[in-house]
Amino acid sequence: MKELSLNILDITYNSIKAGADRIEIGISESTTGNLIEIEIRDNGCGMDDEFLRRVTDPFVTTRTTRKVGLGIPLFKQSAEDAGGTFTITSKVGEGTAVYASFQLDHLDRAPIGDMGSTLVSLIQANDQIRFIYRHKTDQGTFVLDTDELHAQLGDVPLSEPAVLSWLHAYINENLENIQGGKI
Amino acid sequence: MMNVHELAAACGFTYFNGKELEARPVEGAYCCDLLSWVIGRAGDQDALVTVMSNPNVIAVAVMADLPCVILTEGVRPDEKALEKARENDVIVLSSSEPTYATALKIGKVLAG
Repeated sequence: MKELSLNILDITYNSIKAGADRIEIGISESTTGNLIEIEIRDNGCGMDDEFLRRVTDPFVTTRTTRKVGLGIPLFKQSAEDAGGTFTITSKVGEGTAVYASFQLDHLDRAPIGDMGSTLVSLIQANDQIRFIYRHKTDQGTFVLDTDELHAQLGDVPLSEPAVLSWLHAYINENLENIQGGKI
Repeated sequence: MMNVHELAAACGFTYFNGKELEARPVEGAYCCDLLSWVIGRAGDQDALVTVMSNPNVIAVAVMADLPCVILTEGVRPDEKALEKARENDVIVLSSSEPTYATALKIGKVLAG
């Protein structure tokens, strides 16, 4: 995909479809290590070994409306095209973790993209899910936990437009502070 | 309008898969290596012209219901991609020229 944030959005939707109520999204950028790492971890229904073995095959999907699913295969390809690696681990009843790494200075490495908008759209449509976002760069770490936001906001839902627009600015400002997602 | 086999013959493309398959009409080509970009943009009578050669190419052709895939610069599909092309009845052609030259040739042939 053109931006890694689109891959992240796609993979996170798998977690949502798997019934997760807690989804952790981690991004680590290291200029000194020439490495970007992305991990999406959920507590959804998980997959058995047989399905897990086939899940990077684009002709495997849980959908019944079409016979191909490209979210995981394209994320794997994005990583491998950029000199990185891809792994997915899962346990039935416990959840799934998807990990991808990228050589930061590889010419075919897609930019990280707009994580502010990505997170806001995920939170907006899934207020019942606890999202924990960790973004680490050489300059620092930004952590966003929607449980903490709920605690501060009391009864006001995160999907409230004024809250979302504040949240968007808050994420962007914090990423700006650590120069996150610039590369 | 031409079908895939007529186009292959007129342009001198060779077959990796599907010589025996029913040929669907082709009215143009869509040139792109970013596979997620192809979905929703390539028309269902466009040949997909690309240098990518992994199984995802075949999956995109199936998903977007494209009449054929044309691999340029003499690129060969990897074994898994070829297997998926056979299983899913996707015609995969080979062009020895780069993507631009291949598209130009297709354009000329289709324009008659």
